[in-house]
Amino acid sequence: MSALHVIWGYYVRFNARWPALAAFIPFVPLVLAWTVVVRLELFPPVFLPGPGDVARKAWELLYKGILTDYLADSLGRLAVGAAVGMAIAIPLGVFVGLNRKAYEFSWPILLFFQAIGDIAWLPILLVWFGFGLTTMTFVIVYTVLFPVVLNTVLGIRSAKPDLHRAAQSLGASRSRILFEVTLPGALPNIITGLRNGLGYGWRALIAAEIIVGTSGIGFLMFDARRAGSVEEIVVGMILLGVLWYIVDSWVLAPIERATGQRWGLVTK
Amino acid sequence: MKSLALESLSKTYFDPYRGTQFTAIKDVSLNVEEGDFVAVVGPSGCGKSTILNMIAGFVPATGGRILVGGREVSGPGRDRGVVFQSFALFPWKTVIENVAFGPKMRGIGKAERNRIAQEYLELAGLGHAADRYPNELSGGMQQRVGVVRALANEPDVLLMDEPFASVDAQTRMTLQEELTRIWEERRPTVVFITHDVPEAVFLANRVVVLTRGNVLAEVDIPLARPRVWDSLVEDDEFKSLSNQVLQLVRSA
Repeated sequence: MSALHVIWGYYVRFNARWPALAAFIPFVPLVLAWTVVVRLELFPPVFLPGPGDVARKAWELLYKGILTDYLADSLGRLAVGAAVGMAIAIPLGVFVGLNRKAYEFSWPILLFFQAIGDIAWLPILLVWFGFGLTTMTFVIVYTVLFPVVLNTVLGIRSAKPDLHRAAQSLGASRSRILFEVTLPGALPNIITGLRNGLGYGWRALIAAEIIVGTSGIGFLMFDARRAGSVEEIVVGMILLGVLWYIVDSWVLAPIERATGQRWGLVTK
Repeated sequence: MKSLALESLSKTYFDPYRGTQFTAIKDVSLNVEEGDFVAVVGPSGCGKSTILNMIAGFVPATGGRILVGGREVSGPGRDRGVVFQSFALFPWKTVIENVAFGPKMRGIGKAERNRIAQEYLELAGLGHAADRYPNELSGGMQQRVGVVRALANEPDVLLMDEPFASVDAQTRMTLQEELTRIWEERRPTVVFITHDVPEAVFLANRVVVLTRGNVLAEVDIPLARPRVWDSLVEDDEFKSLSNQVLQLVRSA
């Protein structure tokens, strides 16, 4: 048994015992490599700060209260945008998915607007709404909307005909079939759409904050560039990744486990 | 439970690519008495599933009438319970929620419909699985739920579309014995579609042989009940009836 096997064994056992901490382990070699590159001074420290510098900067920002404020701003915008996006997207997706004519009519339009990326809207939005919250909300809603609509339509349209028939011959009315059969059947697709939508929305938000913002993580990073603080930029970048990991693995993945996976509709 | 009658039922499809008509069912008349068990057999493509889909109301007939208890029906309804080859259980509902679905649609309160569902689950020996999800059960158990779900809604006629075709051979024999036991106890009116001749002879009072959209023959099965495979496998009467039906199907 080689040393590699021993390490692998430790890793597997650690994973089993501390599943919450296990996610950090793959980052250990990454941070080590980062440290080595910095120590070798391949790049001037002004361009590439080490993990220690970045951690100190993060603590400083946290201490000043800037980080928490900006974080709350960014997450709040994402939450509002996602909520509005879903409130429009799910009913729209259900309607388009159920109605053949609506599907044929709206599908090209949906694909057309999906192709105009979120950031491509910024120039005209700035003309219309100026540098403000409306512009940012619009971008997030727009970005969340399409993956959710398209996946909801897909979920509704790929419903199994036998389930629909079974419900009919058990005496279910059309509206009962919608809520008891069609919507639960489409739920795994809706969640997939939401997952994609939130992922895109998170990225779009940062882009919007860089251009529009007066606060938020994106603004923090861009503002740091002006001040020449590379550490602060890296803090922002790391934060983006960590936050997304938290949203995905603590919120979205458990929903997926409790629905589609439990019902055997999606493979684990 | 009520009787079922098909009067000169026909089904013609229009083929838009060829621009021609295709006749799946020509002129099928059939009487199923109240509490009778009729099996329909035939080679694939003979139209047996089309007939069942028309009786269930999933596919509209292009001619003729379907009468349940003397009353003409069209479209799906709770008077005709269906058991599907694909089981068609709702994956997001537990076993008991699946069985209670029909009563729920009738507006029966939660306590009462759960009591009904539990009673039917016990009938199929599934009381212990009430809170499981369908995908946690074997195929055989899933189809027991499928049968019980249809029965729990107290249909006038029970329609079964090759219900045991996708379970393994041993389980299939067990399910056939359970179905025959339930039928002997409760006497529902059953139309059972299958391509498995021994299955049809084992279960039914009468076997209808279908060929190219027509009824070729009807064979009465006077075998004594209760029926179990252990005594019937070597039974001469069972063997000769099976052979008779098989010859008809093969000649079709």
